[in-house]
Amino acid sequence: MRESSEIAAEFSFEKEKAIAKSFSQRFQWEMILIGLGQAAIWLSLWPLVLNGFLDLWAGFLIASLCACFAYLPSHEAQHGNYSRGNPKLRWLDDLVGHITLVTLKFPYHILRITHMKHHAYTNDQEKDPDYLNAHNTSVPKVIKNVLDGSTLQFDKYLDVFASDKAFVNSFHQAIPIALFYKLAPLVLVIIFPFETLLLWWLPAKIGSVYTTVFFSYFPHIGTSTGRYMNTRFWSHWMPRYINHSMQLHFIHHLHPSIGHFDEPKAVEALKTFLIARNVPGADQIPEKVSYNPLIKF
Amino acid sequence: MLIEKLLNHISNWGKFWFGLIFLGSIFNAMLEKFTLLSGTPYIWVLAFGSGALIGFVARIRGAWL
Repeated sequence: MRESSEIAAEFSFEKEKAIAKSFSQRFQWEMILIGLGQAAIWLSLWPLVLNGFLDLWAGFLIASLCACFAYLPSHEAQHGNYSRGNPKLRWLDDLVGHITLVTLKFPYHILRITHMKHHAYTNDQEKDPDYLNAHNTSVPKVIKNVLDGSTLQFDKYLDVFASDKAFVNSFHQAIPIALFYKLAPLVLVIIFPFETLLLWWLPAKIGSVYTTVFFSYFPHIGTSTGRYMNTRFWSHWMPRYINHSMQLHFIHHLHPSIGHFDEPKAVEALKTFLIARNVPGADQIPEKVSYNPLIKF
Repeated sequence: MLIEKLLNHISNWGKFWFGLIFLGSIFNAMLEKFTLLSGTPYIWVLAFGSGALIGFVARIRGAWL
């Protein structure tokens, strides 16, 4: 990567930031709709299935889809992209962040603080909570680890960031919800065994695998540390919207306040800046970001 | 503190309880619904016992898979 001093003034960080800011203003209504919508659909599956209006296997498919859509709305909330710095709207971040994660059975506070550390220490073996997933050796191994839960080393990061009071407080704040997500399926499964398995537990696993593979593994595999080097543009056979546009994850790491659905335009606008910074693959970004592929083969 | 004790217990024995309660309930429901053993008395012992065993092995191994 070129040092800042070697970058032409027209591609300065200040100018890059100003362009990024222009894509960081819009109210992210689509993501709120997706987050609250998928949670509402998931919740409605229970009475529909239990009362025989919907086949359990159809419910399983719908619940799994909901689980795959569950993380991203929370991710926007984690970055405060609904409130946009307005303290009066902070409740909206919390509301969407918490509710959308019901499907995945994850406490919002823990995901928020660990995600902030992921941004601060991306690819740092000791301090990046996503490191084990992002730098695994193959997709099957990522899947195995997610199913096993062995990469969720929350206790480890509680030790690593023990001196960070905000981190520790948020972690403790999440404990009641974490306990609820541990105990609720154990109670439900006694009363509704198949429904608990196929409407909640298995879809949550599928959603976690999907999220980890596309949000954590593919965007970071093979990357190093440094602002312009810790994430990559990548290609995939899937249309961009099926992998939640995670091919554009690079721009999110650069400017997390850019709304998810505004990232394609931001990538187009910032392309010359990224080329100037020698971002790997940036010269392959098409003039117009299409559904797929993002990068030309 | 109660919460702390509960968390420690879950951390140490969570896999066993998950095996016993969660897997046990699923196995029990499957045996009752899908097998020739459905009418057998005390079939739940087999179901919950299998779940507990799997959970206990996972606890010893420190991993499910």
